[in-house]
Amino acid sequence: MDTVIYFILIPMVYIAFGVFIFGTIIRLIHIFRQPKNPSTLQIYPEKQPAWLWAIHDTFLFPTIRRHKPMLWVFLMVFHISLVLLLISHIELIADFPALQAIPHEVPIGSGFVGLAAAISVLYFFFRRFKSPVRELSVPEDYLLLILIFLTVLFGAEMDWARTWYDYDEMSVGDYQQYLYGLVTFSPELPDVVTQSGHSFMLVVHIFFANVLLMVFPFTQMMHAFLSLPMNKLRRG
Amino acid sequence: MDIQTRDDLLKLFQGKLNEAMRFYLETCTRCGVCTEACHVYASMGRVQNIAAYRSEIVRRLYKKYFKARGKFWPSVSEAKELSELAVEELFEAAYSCTGCRRCMVHCPFGIDTQMIMSIAKVLLIGHGSEPEVLSMLADMSVAKGDNVDNVRDSFVAGIKNLEDDVVAKWKSEAGADVIPVDVEGADLLYVALAGAHSIIPAAAVFNAAGENWTLSFFEAVNFGAFVGDPTKTKLILDRIVNEALRLKVKEVCICECGTAFRVMKNLSGKQPFKVTSITEVHARYLREGKIKLRKNSLDGAVTYHDPCQIARNAGVMDEPRYILSHLTDDYREMSAEPKYNWCCGGGGGLVALGEETIDFRMKSARVKADQVKNTGAPILATACENCHTQLSNLNDHYKMNVDVQFLSSMVADQLVQQ
Repeated sequence: MDTVIYFILIPMVYIAFGVFIFGTIIRLIHIFRQPKNPSTLQIYPEKQPAWLWAIHDTFLFPTIRRHKPMLWVFLMVFHISLVLLLISHIELIADFPALQAIPHEVPIGSGFVGLAAAISVLYFFFRRFKSPVRELSVPEDYLLLILIFLTVLFGAEMDWARTWYDYDEMSVGDYQQYLYGLVTFSPELPDVVTQSGHSFMLVVHIFFANVLLMVFPFTQMMHAFLSLPMNKLRRG
Repeated sequence: MDIQTRDDLLKLFQGKLNEAMRFYLETCTRCGVCTEACHVYASMGRVQNIAAYRSEIVRRLYKKYFKARGKFWPSVSEAKELSELAVEELFEAAYSCTGCRRCMVHCPFGIDTQMIMSIAKVLLIGHGSEPEVLSMLADMSVAKGDNVDNVRDSFVAGIKNLEDDVVAKWKSEAGADVIPVDVEGADLLYVALAGAHSIIPAAAVFNAAGENWTLSFFEAVNFGAFVGDPTKTKLILDRIVNEALRLKVKEVCICECGTAFRVMKNLSGKQPFKVTSITEVHARYLREGKIKLRKNSLDGAVTYHDPCQIARNAGVMDEPRYILSHLTDDYREMSAEPKYNWCCGGGGGLVALGEETIDFRMKSARVKADQVKNTGAPILATACENCHTQLSNLNDHYKMNVDVQFLSSMVADQLVQQ
């Protein structure tokens, strides 16, 4: 069992990031090296500057706000949560004073950000049960949402689980020791990370996160990188 | 389907995979925001007509043959083999889509369904299952370009017969060429359709504005684009480009034909002439005071149908409204925003297929008929041949009791002789 835990917490993380980084780069290079479309794909009326409106479309989803307001609320909550979670994870590697420009606790929201993301994912999941989105959906749409749900759920729980032990076990410092080791290629596993009562949550969280990273470059999650250039095409 | 056929078709598929197409095929999350975008879905309520579903029919093949996942775990993304059945589905998807790109306005990523459908259309041609009529019409257009000299005399004779009708709308000076043809050094080359209604009013307005113009030998419509054949589209387009270069014109003005205008504007490349629609030209004449129109002598309120390929997809939205402001004080919008206007339901070659598609065209455009009725305007203007035919059919079918008119004809009919 220890070997499995060790594999998930160290070698598999490297494999996952390797697949994620190289997979994404290779796929993006492949796509962007294809010939450009010979004619414009713009939709009118146009607004200038087009690039600014393309950014607006990419990050604020105005068409969803207009046509599916409920979905828009959950999408906004989900994507903003993702950004906050990303910042939180960076702060679990080491202290970055720049990220504390707006002072906040680490991790941000003590698990509630993850909870918000998890609830949004549940909404995305169950709205696929209803026609006509049901007919449009394919199995991988559900599987990806399940994967994201499990990842954020087990991640979000960890901070609450610490209250079982008066908040002493698996502190931010312990995470930093583990993650900093990974980042500097001198991995170490502090005992507290593997021996605590809720270590299993960490293992499960990291396992699903690894899987998520590994499938990322090959799924529609690539919209994270492609949405902006696509919106630019529409804006002309 | 035998292996050779499939390989040939997959080569055609591969040929369509440029950068934008890869974006569109990779990114859809099937969120369903496009659901209400399609007039066919809005009118008939069939899931197959939702943009994401249409695209998925092409995307399933993409996943099967161009993505690793389709090879070792096809069921997870519902990747599908290219079979005879798949070809039937492609036909259903491609020829129930008018290419209006309303769904592209809805999509959070801006996926162009018309472009994805162009893969379906190319595969259908490769399979020999495209609507034969469209291919035949495209071939005839190409052939005409190869044999201009053979048709020149009969064309000029035919044009001469129209001159009296032009003069009835606008009295030209004695000796002036009423419908000039083949004039080298003219400022403007007008590309019409094969039909007097596309030539007479336009000629009257050009003469009224004192334009130095000449009529093209060719008809503007591009059947190659309807059937989705890039080679024929280019050949049909090049006939006009070459004529414009030969006559050294400064401007190529396309008649009221949406496809012709968008193809000419987007695909003719960098040329010494500019490409305009006749609607833009008429608006310019009004702005410069070259023509004057009688105002408020129409029988009631006017509404205007924005042809998708001219408005949403080529940006001519303000000009028709400007023209109509010179014709009436009672103009009524049918859509709060022109980019959200419903398609008439006749694009993508459906009107060109005539009786074959009429049942579907009527059923799939119910929302359009409702939209027109809701304006309460007795005059329905538009600036596209396809739209005009389809709207006239809708008028009969849904008893809309409107008078469907070409905007250019309305301009010609209301010219004030100065």
